[in-house]
Amino acid sequence: MSAIDWLSALLLVVGAAFFFAGTLGLLRFPDVYSRLHALAKADNLGLGCVLLGLALRADSLAVAMKLLLIWPLVLTASAGVGFAIARRAQTLGIRPWRQGDAP
Amino acid sequence: MRSETWRALVLRGVAFMLLWWVLVEGRHDGWALGALAVVAATWTSLTLAPPGRRRIRPAGLLAFLGFFLWSSIRGGMQVAAMAMRGRRALRPGLIELAVRLPPGWPRILLVNTLTLMPGTLGVELSRKTLRLHVLDERLPVVAEARALEAAIARMLRRTG
Repeated sequence: MSAIDWLSALLLVVGAAFFFAGTLGLLRFPDVYSRLHALAKADNLGLGCVLLGLALRADSLAVAMKLLLIWPLVLTASAGVGFAIARRAQTLGIRPWRQGDAP
Repeated sequence: MRSETWRALVLRGVAFMLLWWVLVEGRHDGWALGALAVVAATWTSLTLAPPGRRRIRPAGLLAFLGFFLWSSIRGGMQVAAMAMRGRRALRPGLIELAVRLPPGWPRILLVNTLTLMPGTLGVELSRKTLRLHVLDERLPVVAEARALEAAIARMLRRTG
């Protein structure tokens, strides 16, 4: 394996770890707001690592750029959806969980 | 046409050509359809988002992208560490922040990027204030938000 292959494999593993952490946060965090934090940040960083890892293995520059283009598109969607869900939750009167509240 | 419109036409046309090249993965057999798509996309873009008074400063854009990339790496690592420790790592709360950026895309960019930055999530944007949910009140979230605001402000260049 060449250095590029190793770097690519490393990025894919790191990306998977961030997806794991994001899912863990989704399951463990107490309310809708903190779960959105976990999804918006950890999963997006994981996706960035996975896409970069795949782009390093791409056959041509155009394919690599196509893979990397996915990242800003998903980031935009994820930030917009995160904001929309948080705002709706607040309109519905869902109070954020605070340390000391019942789970 | 004004020179600004010409400038926008050329810049956006080149950007859409590059985008087409990326989408077809560098093939050459579909260039007729590609030319049509580029013209249509450029026309749509100039109609829906005409070149405005606010232009983006290229150096400011690069600085913003660097800042954003570094912040989202920190944000992802921080929330991943909190997820590992569970809810006792959290000290959530809501904070209100006065918005200093001009209305329009600078504010929308601020809210959306804050959601990807360490510890903050945009909840509500009104005319004067921005409400944020923070994962840990002890973290310097206000300073982070102000730094992001400054990075966006440095991208703006007023013309005309």
